Amino acid sequence: MAGVSATVPVRRVTASGSVRSRRAADAIATIVLWAMASSIIVMLAAFVIYMVYLGWSALTPAFIFGMPQETTAGGGVGPEIYNSFYILILTLIFTVPIAVAAGVYLQEYEHAGRFRTIVQFSAESLATIPSVVMGLFGLLVFVYLFKWHFTALGGALTLTLLNLPALMRVTQEALASVPDTLREASMGLGGTKWQTITRVVLPSAIGRLTTGIVLIAGRIFGETAALIFTAGLSVPFNNPYSLNPFRPAETLAVHLWYTHSESIVPDVARIGNGSALVLLIMVLLFNVSARIVGRQLTKRFTGRAE
Amino acid sequence: MIAVQARRSHRTERIAVIGLRVAAGFVILAMATLLLYLAYEGTKTFYVDKFPLWKFLFSTSFDPDSGQVGSGVFIIGTLAVTLFAILVGGPFGIAVGIFLAEIAPYRMTQLLKPAIEVMVGIPSVVYGWLGLTLLVPLIRTHTNSPSGFGLAAAGIVLAIMILPTVITLSEDAFRSLPPTIKEGSLALGATRFQTIMRVLVPSASSGLAVALILGIARAIGETLAIQMVIGNATRLPMGIFAPTAALTTEIVTDMPGATEGTLLEHALFSMAFLLLVIAMLLIVFVRLALRKRN
Repeated sequence: MAGVSATVPVRRVTASGSVRSRRAADAIATIVLWAMASSIIVMLAAFVIYMVYLGWSALTPAFIFGMPQETTAGGGVGPEIYNSFYILILTLIFTVPIAVAAGVYLQEYEHAGRFRTIVQFSAESLATIPSVVMGLFGLLVFVYLFKWHFTALGGALTLTLLNLPALMRVTQEALASVPDTLREASMGLGGTKWQTITRVVLPSAIGRLTTGIVLIAGRIFGETAALIFTAGLSVPFNNPYSLNPFRPAETLAVHLWYTHSESIVPDVARIGNGSALVLLIMVLLFNVSARIVGRQLTKRFTGRAE
Repeated sequence: MIAVQARRSHRTERIAVIGLRVAAGFVILAMATLLLYLAYEGTKTFYVDKFPLWKFLFSTSFDPDSGQVGSGVFIIGTLAVTLFAILVGGPFGIAVGIFLAEIAPYRMTQLLKPAIEVMVGIPSVVYGWLGLTLLVPLIRTHTNSPSGFGLAAAGIVLAIMILPTVITLSEDAFRSLPPTIKEGSLALGATRFQTIMRVLVPSASSGLAVALILGIARAIGETLAIQMVIGNATRLPMGIFAPTAALTTEIVTDMPGATEGTLLEHALFSMAFLLLVIAMLLIVFVRLALRKRN
């Protein structure tokens, strides 16, 4: 080493001169990148603390279970929370079978070809469409064309279109994570392709699939723009906890927006703070349970820890 | 017996494939219907109301009652907030993507990834509410903006909202690079920062382009979060703190009061169709960027 540097002394001098500044630049860059990444966590934590601080006092039983008010203070969000879950479940009933089937088809059956290309392109386009545009499409089809007016079902079908691509991608990724040796073993034992998929591949992928579904469920729960023009801005007052899908169904997220921008109640801030906090708590719950449920299912169906 | 079973499973197999194919076909059907239906409704402004296309795109006079639906204000508003969001959120997101792919120790990744997932899950209206109660008063007290609503508030909210998209996709872009190019650079004596700037970022450029394009797509389509803070004024943004409106916010603001079949309603559908066209163009760009990589 010493011999080499002795033969090229000029180079060594310039190199050592810049080494120090290069190292300094490297250290500064590392610190800056750490700071940027940490700032995301700090920002998120600040958001959560701030929302809890604002909304904590609003979270009374009368607020969580009470009826909304049109003109006076003291309104609750009971029917809105119910509607959020109701539309979420309706949406999942439509989305999960279609998205999983389409994902299985693309991942297990057709690996190339024009049909696949068109499906993929359609899914990608569908995924990029703004949710407000999807809402207007739902308005055209379910409200104007089918003359359903504002309904829970119309909202759920609109959200189905909106979330199909994401769930398809989740399915494809979950299936791709299953090692090919499992498929080969099943086929080698004489299983048909369909038997292999239903009895080997899907059970192995169920953990990841469920995690993805629960995360998407969280997004459906908070969706707003697509629902304003499809599920409407009101709840039926004589029967707010109706199971009838052909009725207006304002969700909690929509109610937060509506209260802020359209309604004339005097306690907008209280309702907004409370609703925002409930939504935030639900997002956190969906995220945590996605991980727990996914891990449990993977363990149960495959015996692997993850 | 075995023959019967084999025949039965053969039939199940055929039915299953047909069922799966139908589900995949549904995606094409949904997209095609959506495109055609919105194209049909979205062009009524031009063939029913005879409002010229160039005026819709470039005129800034929007007054449906006197027959004017020039949407230039909303188009410029959308472009301005998107530009703001991508200028702030783009570099920041790519930097965090680099951090996750190259620097973050395991524990930090375990903390950052769930945080980003929560950020994706937070509903648009909650971001809007945060902007409304936190950001708007902040801008009002610290600048000479009288209301606090406007371009800057909307741009900052959007910049935060596109972060998860940009971070996740740029991290993927860096992770998909072959490790040999990094090792080669480090072996030549480059520091980590030099390797990132001169080797990794240029090599991952098409993946980073995809991250930015999809970030832009998210920003252009975002509606309620910015509708709550942009001010919803039908005028060009004269300065960074001035209230304005975007295509999405204008749709949400005026659609509830629009009667079916009027010029206003047609114009709002034209804006929705324009957003759809932009979204599909961005997908084509993504495809081109990915093809360049392969």
